[in-house]
Order: sequence, then structure tokens, then C-alpha cells
Amino acid sequence: MPDPVLYLQAMGFAAFASAMLVFIVVGAVHPDTLKWMNVASVLAIGLGLVVGYVVLAFRLTWPPANGLDRLLLVIVPATLVLELIVSCWSEPRRIAWLMRFFLAAAIPRILLHGSVHLDGFHGEAQLLLKTVAELIACSVLLAGTWRMLTWLSERSGGCSIPLALALTIQCAGLTIMMAGYIKGGAATFPLTATLVATTLATSLAVKHSSITATIGIGIGMVELFGILFIGRFFGRISTGFALTMLVTPLLCWVSELPTLRYRKPWLVGAVRLLLVAIPLVVALVLAKQDFDRAMTPLLGQLITG
Amino acid sequence: MSMRRNFFDLARAAVVGTILCAAGQLGYAADEYAYDLVHSSVSFKARHLDISWIHGRFNEVDGKFSLDRENPSKSTFELTIKADSVDTANKARDEHLRQPDYFDTKQFPTIEFKSTSTKVIEGGYEVTGDFTMHGKTKKVTLVLKGGKEHLFKDVKRVAFSTELSLKRSDFGFDKNAIGPIGDEAIILIDCEGMRK
Repeated sequence: MPDPVLYLQAMGFAAFASAMLVFIVVGAVHPDTLKWMNVASVLAIGLGLVVGYVVLAFRLTWPPANGLDRLLLVIVPATLVLELIVSCWSEPRRIAWLMRFFLAAAIPRILLHGSVHLDGFHGEAQLLLKTVAELIACSVLLAGTWRMLTWLSERSGGCSIPLALALTIQCAGLTIMMAGYIKGGAATFPLTATLVATTLATSLAVKHSSITATIGIGIGMVELFGILFIGRFFGRISTGFALTMLVTPLLCWVSELPTLRYRKPWLVGAVRLLLVAIPLVVALVLAKQDFDRAMTPLLGQLITG
Repeated sequence: MSMRRNFFDLARAAVVGTILCAAGQLGYAADEYAYDLVHSSVSFKARHLDISWIHGRFNEVDGKFSLDRENPSKSTFELTIKADSVDTANKARDEHLRQPDYFDTKQFPTIEFKSTSTKVIEGGYEVTGDFTMHGKTKKVTLVLKGGKEHLFKDVKRVAFSTELSLKRSDFGFDKNAIGPIGDEAIILIDCEGMRK
């Protein structure tokens, strides 16, 4: 059963651990060393997630048995390692993006491993084609959204983009939970808390927040995609719902309109968060209505009228 | 020369004949039965709030068994249940049970039992085998009651009944998601087989 107090505790501990790690690195290493700040961001997110899931008493199995296990034990660590490599190694940006696209291409296949959704690989040619097309479409969606948000961050920077991603991840989690997949929804609480804490801590600690925001965007985007993908393919959320939530952070691009672009950074950030929040609130209201309709009888409440 | 050849032909025929007879005997010894979905059921019950029982069933089940009356230890039993066919007479609850917090039917589409050893007991058989649910396999022992044969419209039928109690947490179900529905579930299997 959902336990809001436990979720809040997990968020608090995860956020505290992430923020502390960033501040310790800032204290120990020269703050201008951006490479070290990026490393600290990656480690802070990793540490925050571990702390959060320990507090939640999350039971994950190795080898991973289901989609959520694969997301938290394979995909999120792989993304963290990838971002760590990219931030430590001053290679051409194209190679970094090639590695990210490769990861984006592998993620849907990894998440569906061993499930009935891959039965197409052992069936008729038409079914195989449909399965491959679905996997490619999902990978393109992830890679496209990831690239677009990173591009926006490189153009105008700020911490509002990872914060908008964190907001979307949390709303996606609540929607999945209301659709009946409690553990899937609960997994998003540490994800959100670490992303917010790391983003805010790095913004406070250094002035070069645009570079650290890129890392937050990468990890946040993979987490958002992963949780929506699991909710769609293993849970009960609809394709329309999942797609809407996945592309919602792209509304941050509205701030690039000439009337907004040269405004004060806090105003641009606030507009971005507001724009992203509006469709998310609508999605949550719809999810709540669906929950009331489907789940009320199961929760033992009498239906009257 | 011709007499010797005749003798060898005779001996060869005798050997082949004996082998064929033996094979025929073996073939008759074990009867193969297919699971009759119309006259069988796999149902379950679990505690709600530890005060009442929730009942449900699986509508899509397949299986087969072979009975060797002369050498019962050679009898085998197999059952495959489609987890997606869970039915508790409440659509919303069934949808909920199919999700990853419970059966995770997209990841683990079937619940299976495959026997590994069989022995005769009074009134039936004691069958030990691998029970796979939610991706976890455990050894379980079923006490199958019944086994009486009945000829109906020229088709031989045999039926068994059994009850199995198990803890969901032993099969990888998340303890945190167990909630008001108890950890222990009782599975009731009534299986009628038609001879192939």
C-alpha cells in the first residue's frame, strides 16, 4: 500500500545525500574545475538514488527479473557511467552523442527483455516488423527529446530544464501509481529528489550551471522515458498519456520566443516551469478521475447515488 | 547352407518380434491424457484483511498427464496456466492483479507445474515437481486425490483434485505490495483428462 510518509522520508534522505556530496566536492576541489563538478553531479545522483531506495526498502533482484529492475539496475547506472565518461574525457562532442544515441537505441530493447512484447522476434514476419518498428520509434523519441532539451540548455542554460524534467518524472510516477502500479510510481520519488537536489546544489555552488545541467538532463530524460515506458508496456497507462508526458518538457522551448528569450533568467525559468506544469496538472486530474472510477470499489468505499 | 540361412532368418524374426511386443507393451502401459478445460478448473483464494477470503480463478489453462498404472513412478503431470486469464469477478481488480505489483503478466505470462517424481499413495498420487510463478521456480509436492477411470462416449477419462498452499513472497512478489491481501494463497486444482 502507498505510504506517503515513507516516500517523503526517502525524498528527504536522497536529496540530503545528493546535495551534501556536491558541497563536499566543492569544498575539497577547486570550484572552477568544471570536470570535477560534473563528476560530483553524476556521483551525487548515484548516491542519492541508492540512499532513497534503501529508505524505501526497495527489493530489486539480480539478475533483473522485470522492467523496473532493469531500469534501476542496468539502465540508470549505465547512463550514470556514460555521463561520467563523457564529463571526464574531453573527446569530440559528436562521439559523446554517438554513445548517447547508442544507449537510447538499446534502452527499449533492454526494458522489454524476456517479456511478451518481444514475442514478435519468434513469430511471423509481420509481427516481427511491428515489434522492430515500435522499438525504433521509442528510441527515436527518447534520443530526439534528449537532444532537443540539451540543445536548449546549451543555448540558454539555467537549471529550469532539469527541474522541469524532475516535475514531469514525479507526475509520471503519480499517474502510474494511480493506474495501479504502486512500486513503479514509488520508484520516482528518489529520482525526483536527487535530480532537484543535485541541480540546485550545483547551481548554488558554481556559476557554470549550464554544463552540469546537461548531465541532469541526460539522466533525467532517461529516467522519465524509462518510467513512462514501463508504465505503458507493463502497467496500465495509455500510449497517449505516456507520449504527452514524454514531450511535455519540450514546452521549455517556448522561452526561446523573442519576447521571452532576453528576459531575466529567473523569469525565463519560471515561465518554463509554468508551461510544463499546466499539461501535467491536466494529466494528473484525468488520472485521478480514472483512479476514482476504477479503484474506489477496491478500496472498500461504498458507491452511492 | 539353405537350412542355416533359414535358421538365422527365424532367429532374426524372433528377436524383432520380441522387441516389437515389448515396445507395444510399454506403449500400452502409459496412457496420455489431455487437460479438459470444460470439466476442469484452477481457482485460488487469499485472505482479505485476515478476516475473509477472496476467491478467483484462471480461465485459460492447458496441460497433459501420462498415467503408467504398472510403473506409477513413470507417470508425469504438466500444467500451464495463463496468468492474464485471472478472473475474480471484478474487472478493475483483475486489471490490478495483472500489473507488475502482482502477477506482472506481460513479463511472466504463465504459471507452470512440471512433475519430476511420482509415487502412489492411498487414494491417489504424491507428485513432486517444479512450480514456476512470477519467474521463480520452487519444488512443491502435490497430493493428487482421485485417479478413477470412466469411459464416456468411447473416451477414457481420469480426474484428480489437489490443493496447494503457498506464500506469494516466496515467489518474488513484493512484500511491500502485499497490503490487505494476505501473503498466503491457496490454489485449488480440479483436473479432468481425456485420453488422447
